[in-house]
Amino acid sequence: MIAVSRTIEADVVIVGGGIGGAMAAIAAADGGAKRVVVLEKCHVRRSGSGATGNDHFSCYCPEVHGDDVEPILRELMGSLIGQAKDVELMRLHLQESFDIVKMWEEWGINMRPLGRWNFQGHALPGKPRVFLKFDGRKQKAVLAEQMKKRGVTVLNHHPVVELAKEDGRICGALALNASTPEPSFVLVKAPCVILSTGLTHRLYVNASTPNYLFNTAHCPNNAGGQALGWRIGASMVNMEIPYTHAGIKYLQRAGKATWIGVYRYPDGSPLGPFVTRPDPEYGDVTSDIWNSAFIDVMQNGRGPAYLDCSENTPETLAYMRRAMFDEGLSALIGYMDSKGIDPAKHAVEFTRYEPILHGRGLDVDKDGQTTVPGLYAAGDMVGNAGCGLGLAAWMGWRAGHAAAASAISAAGTTTGDLALNPGIRAKMELLSSFMERKEGADWQEANIALTQIMSDYANVGPYKVRSASLLNAGLSYLNQLRKETNASLKASCSHTLMRAAEVLDLFDCAECILRSALERKETRGSHKRSDFTFTNPLLADRMLDVTRRDDGTVVTSWREVRK
Amino acid sequence: MPPVIDRNKCVGCGTCADICNSNIFVFDRAKDSIPQVRFPEECWHCDSCVIDCPKGAITLRMPLSYTLLHVNADTLGREVNR
Repeated sequence: MIAVSRTIEADVVIVGGGIGGAMAAIAAADGGAKRVVVLEKCHVRRSGSGATGNDHFSCYCPEVHGDDVEPILRELMGSLIGQAKDVELMRLHLQESFDIVKMWEEWGINMRPLGRWNFQGHALPGKPRVFLKFDGRKQKAVLAEQMKKRGVTVLNHHPVVELAKEDGRICGALALNASTPEPSFVLVKAPCVILSTGLTHRLYVNASTPNYLFNTAHCPNNAGGQALGWRIGASMVNMEIPYTHAGIKYLQRAGKATWIGVYRYPDGSPLGPFVTRPDPEYGDVTSDIWNSAFIDVMQNGRGPAYLDCSENTPETLAYMRRAMFDEGLSALIGYMDSKGIDPAKHAVEFTRYEPILHGRGLDVDKDGQTTVPGLYAAGDMVGNAGCGLGLAAWMGWRAGHAAAASAISAAGTTTGDLALNPGIRAKMELLSSFMERKEGADWQEANIALTQIMSDYANVGPYKVRSASLLNAGLSYLNQLRKETNASLKASCSHTLMRAAEVLDLFDCAECILRSALERKETRGSHKRSDFTFTNPLLADRMLDVTRRDDGTVVTSWREVRK
Repeated sequence: MPPVIDRNKCVGCGTCADICNSNIFVFDRAKDSIPQVRFPEECWHCDSCVIDCPKGAITLRMPLSYTLLHVNADTLGREVNR
């Protein structure tokens, strides 16, 4: 058995030190929690999808937008990140997010690189713009410094592999110490846990480079964190509603709205009706509106589709280049420079990427509280108000304050020995068996097998369908894969053991997707059911919750969208 | 897009191994003078190691399969469409 190297008692534990997790930790400390612990898989200075920058922060700024938040809310709900979200939470996000913007500026993040509040991109011509352009290059370092100032304990290289409950309430987490090649376990007792592990990739065959699991638009290490909530009994929402990002081909990278250009067919005509010449104010929102644009043009033979920035002025191209650094695209710029790819001269092909869990996952209230007492969630792993930097920062802030208050009132309620908790014990034994096995399967085999099953049996429209028979077959194959994996996986060090634990989480995310997709008996967006080809108006304002009970059974329920 | 460490510039501070977004380095100070890129296929090409290396000793190498597809913009024939 892998040894337990450390046992810690905390008031609030945060799983993941990205944007949402860092803001949660800062808020929990400000909210009065004395012992705030961040368990981070990599390192808080550079972890998550915001590692090296971001340049769009969704917010409502009264001095720019005027006194009425509702028109801004309508734009946000119609945007890429507004799909299938609770209106009530998105409104609250807008109402409170500018305070966070000002706080970030005070802490030293450059929120006004042009010296003014500048809202650009991801927008329809003539409509209000919801996304503040800022310079996120220093965001992680600044947030790490703010955590340090408040005495937050950060354990880098400590991925969390399981949560624990006692009498129905969260009581702690099991982390893997991956800071040395030899793994050990760390047990953290706490009455409150905030999950903020980001979005989940590596569930489907990679659309750009099928043999490369880590060529992804966002951070590929955020793999399956939603499963921590799923296994402990939190309700999950929107898991069946597919999210597909788009961007450059074959190198995957998010940040399409940072490019200033026009999507064009090879004959030069624009794909969309929104812009015919590059426009820094709005960008080309075509692929936000027409999600399958880039694969449609390949299917109908009119493609490929290119983003053409060559009609920009030199000043606009220089501005775009600077914004790409702000967005954290320095590696892309370095690559393009080294290959002589110049947006002034070259048009770059775009494509749609594989489905991911982005803004799909835990169902939370306005404080980030999940359906399990003591368990909170923030950021891209949230199903009803996650997706993107602004929402992560805001929900992290609210969840941190709420968890601090809850931890203070719940002090002393976690009394049991975490090492004896059945779920924790079972996970420790399973992971230990992987390390003890001399011959067997590597984690990559299991991860790739999963992507094959998901791509064949739970893929997304418009060119792939789901049906009861396909989804049930997928569940059956997943179950077989899970059994074979548990019986044959091996790991040789803390790193490969961490990846093996991620695969187990990915399996649970896949099961939740399959079960959710079975229950949504209609076609909606890219959730295309061949056995229910219509979109049911009765489900238009409803969300599907799927929950795994403690006995392992799965229940589904529908609820109204919170307006 | 794995990092490539210039052995002549690297001073073995271990910053890259510490801050890597994907934990792809292993740096055993008892055995190695510089970090090893042990899991190159797990690199996310985030550039953190390049940015944070105090000696500018790291570059990223793009796998051939990640090739960024592009054409000369003049070939798009947009002049006739404007």
